[in-house]
Amino acid sequence: MEEREHILPMIRNAQWVEVVGRDAIYKEFLFKDFNQAFGFMSRVALQAEKMDHHPEWFNVYNKVQITLSTHECGGISQRDITLATFIDQASVY
Amino acid sequence: MEGGEGRRAGGEGSGRLSALQEQLVWSLLGSGLSKELLIQAMGDLERERGSAGGERTDRADGESSEEGEMDNPPPIFHDLERLPPEEAARQRAEVDQLLQQDPWHVAKIVKSYMQQHNLPQREVVESTGLNQSHLSQHLNKGTPMKNQKRAALYSWYIKKQTEISQQFTNASRGVMSGEESGEDVRKGRRNRFKWGPASQQILFQAYERQKNPSKEEREGLVEECNRAECLQRGVSPSQLAGLGSNLVTEVRVYNWFANRRKEEAFRHKLALDVPYSSQSASSTGQTLSSSPSPGLKYSQSVLCESLGTMRSSSGEDRGGGGRLASPVQLEPSHTLLDAHHLKPVSCGGSLPPVSTLTSLHGLSGSSAAPPGLIMASLPSVMSLGDSSLLIGLTSSQPQTVNMGGGFTTLQPISFQQQLQASPQQPIAQQLQSHIGPSSFMATMAQFPCHMYSKADLSSYPSSSLLSQAMVIADSNSIGTLTNLTAVRQILTSDPEGHTDTPIEEESLHLQSTSPEPVSSGSLELYPQTQTSETHPSHLLSSSPGDIDPYIPTQMVSTAQ
Repeated sequence: MEEREHILPMIRNAQWVEVVGRDAIYKEFLFKDFNQAFGFMSRVALQAEKMDHHPEWFNVYNKVQITLSTHECGGISQRDITLATFIDQASVY
Repeated sequence: MEGGEGRRAGGEGSGRLSALQEQLVWSLLGSGLSKELLIQAMGDLERERGSAGGERTDRADGESSEEGEMDNPPPIFHDLERLPPEEAARQRAEVDQLLQQDPWHVAKIVKSYMQQHNLPQREVVESTGLNQSHLSQHLNKGTPMKNQKRAALYSWYIKKQTEISQQFTNASRGVMSGEESGEDVRKGRRNRFKWGPASQQILFQAYERQKNPSKEEREGLVEECNRAECLQRGVSPSQLAGLGSNLVTEVRVYNWFANRRKEEAFRHKLALDVPYSSQSASSTGQTLSSSPSPGLKYSQSVLCESLGTMRSSSGEDRGGGGRLASPVQLEPSHTLLDAHHLKPVSCGGSLPPVSTLTSLHGLSGSSAAPPGLIMASLPSVMSLGDSSLLIGLTSSQPQTVNMGGGFTTLQPISFQQQLQASPQQPIAQQLQSHIGPSSFMATMAQFPCHMYSKADLSSYPSSSLLSQAMVIADSNSIGTLTNLTAVRQILTSDPEGHTDTPIEEESLHLQSTSPEPVSSGSLELYPQTQTSETHPSHLLSSSPGDIDPYIPTQMVSTAQ
């Protein structure tokens, strides 16, 4: 629930951007095709369930746009950061 | 969407997996699933899904006869738990083995299994498509059944066995919930609960001890019954889940007791009406008096009805049936007879003791002085041939005359003789002379018996006589008595020759209002106000109506 200012820069470096008008981070992923994209999404989904923290995302064919935010605190929390890290790892799987 | 390229692109890769499948598998593997765990899980899932699909095909082939009529597709096929390859093959093998054996022998096996587990035929019919009547005849009487149909039956039997053993073993694992929901889907409802013989025995014994058990006692009975049912099925008493829809619950025990109590009350009520019906019953074929009072006829028909229902109800009532058949009928009369020997003598001397009443059956036409005794006893209605004094002794009636130990005395009214045609004149006169209205009434007052007499007796037998005919019954039985104690005298013979004081209407009306003066010739015996029931005449009139609503169709039953 607490924002860690020292972590955000790391995320920013990983191409996650802060959403305007809202306390959330966003990133867009492009894959070779739908299967890969959906495979990626499956991995993320499994992890999200494990963490009980789910992304807001949009998928069209090989593109996946993800926004992470924590509802309870209305902004970025550690869980978002953790999930973001995992997502990055999953995207290069 | 732009799937084409994707498909192509994804088409390469591992052999039979599509790209997406591969992706998904990888995702799963990456999510922390070990390969072994994944493979195991996949095997399980495959079995479940596969069996559903596989069995469908099985059924379509081998068992299409079973469900063919209902549906070739698998509406009834819910056995997801079965391993398609092994289980199905094993079961089919068992079915074949049964088919080889003697059909009647196997029928007995199946039938006994159904009895043991209290399974309704309806379930078999629904899942096999067999005709229920044919099935029943085959199982009970060995009516031949074609092989294909027998195969369906045996398949159901084998399947059911595995189902039940699963129920018993999986009970602790909570698999039951799956089973139950599957079952619901299957039939839309569970099987109706049915009491097993073992449980019923326990319940009847408890009923003897106490008709109205408390909740604790009921719960104890629940345990006992379930234990017995499990034992009957050869299973450990703690495997309750295997009982399925026949599991005994506290509510069911409560309902059972409530129904028995209602039944008993109903039987009491019917027993009251028995004399009427017995009268008509016994008088069938006898000249039932050329001119019985209309009321008499009516009550006769009423009794007939009640008798009929009594019979049927007592027939159905297993435990209670025995109780119903109490031999009260003649006994009270006997006591009465004994007690009141004197009266007849005093009256007219020529009146033989009531004990001869039993011989009244053969009285018709006898010129001997048959005891002109009106047995104010419940059971007896006898018809004396032409004289048509009907006093029926219905020993055959299963009546509970002794409602709760009721009769103390039944005194016959020895009117009789006079009623019989000529030979009885002197007696009649004597009898008549005795009647004093007040005394009569007084007697009547105590006489909760309905007596129908058609008048020969103008002034009806004196109180002395009447007193003989008094039926003294317990207050609790009064109510019943009002119905039961209808001793009807149907005097068909014309009074003219007999009586000086013609009794216009000797009918004894069942009315609780004060009787008309006896001298007017009408004998009215009123079941006194002791009667808990309402107006006795109302009893007559309403008894048929009463009986119907009273019939324990109002029995409590559990909602399934």
